[in-house]
Amino acid sequence: MQTVFQDLVAVDVEAQDTEEIIRTAGQMLLEHGFVKDSYIQAVIEREKIYPTGLKLQEIAVAMPHTDREHVIKPGVCVVKLEKPVIFAHMGEPDTKVEVEIIFMMSILHPDEQIETLQKVLGVFQQPAVVADFKNAVTKEELFEVAMKHIG
Amino acid sequence: MKKCKILCVCGSGTVSSAMIAGKLKEQLAEKGWEAEAVETSPNGVESVLSGGKFDLIACVSPVYQDYGVPKVNAVGMLTGMSEEQVIADCLKILEG
Repeated sequence: MQTVFQDLVAVDVEAQDTEEIIRTAGQMLLEHGFVKDSYIQAVIEREKIYPTGLKLQEIAVAMPHTDREHVIKPGVCVVKLEKPVIFAHMGEPDTKVEVEIIFMMSILHPDEQIETLQKVLGVFQQPAVVADFKNAVTKEELFEVAMKHIG
Repeated sequence: MKKCKILCVCGSGTVSSAMIAGKLKEQLAEKGWEAEAVETSPNGVESVLSGGKFDLIACVSPVYQDYGVPKVNAVGMLTGMSEEQVIADCLKILEG
């Protein structure tokens, strides 16, 4: 099941804080019919209580998402930030991390999407794959890397 | 194999808890434990616990209340940064 799409990939995106980047990435999902109008606000609210920042070995990423009631179809929006945005760390809300790449997900059926989830998290756990994402400069390069590792 | 039952908790009770459930089952099996995993969100913990006997709670999102069931911080399993530590913490509870 494909969850990475050309329309859902962006680079050099500027944002001041988590809310702004969630809105920007959420807008991409909304415009292309992946989520309902209620999605963006739901993700913002959820991120405040259950933050999704993750500090890995070489980089920090975030995987904002929300419940299936706000979703129309499954997808992963991959956004590389122009400069890092501070997110709180998952499971440890007092720890802050400087996030460079966002993987915002619209999840409809978690059971069906286990494979996608495993790939996204698998990406995070392999320094070589993280490097691929880090080194992608253009939107096309990022799309290719995302397709290769997440698909 | 010895059996155990683990409650996996994350914000929405879907994404992250499903991920760690899979890894916990796989890695605990290597240590001789057959783990049954149930996923839920922090709001669902109380009702799930009342419906069954769990040996431990694996948390990706913090569970602040004490339910009398030992908790393990499982974020390290999600990021892959400290999987062994998470398994070690689980084993200490299961075997201790």
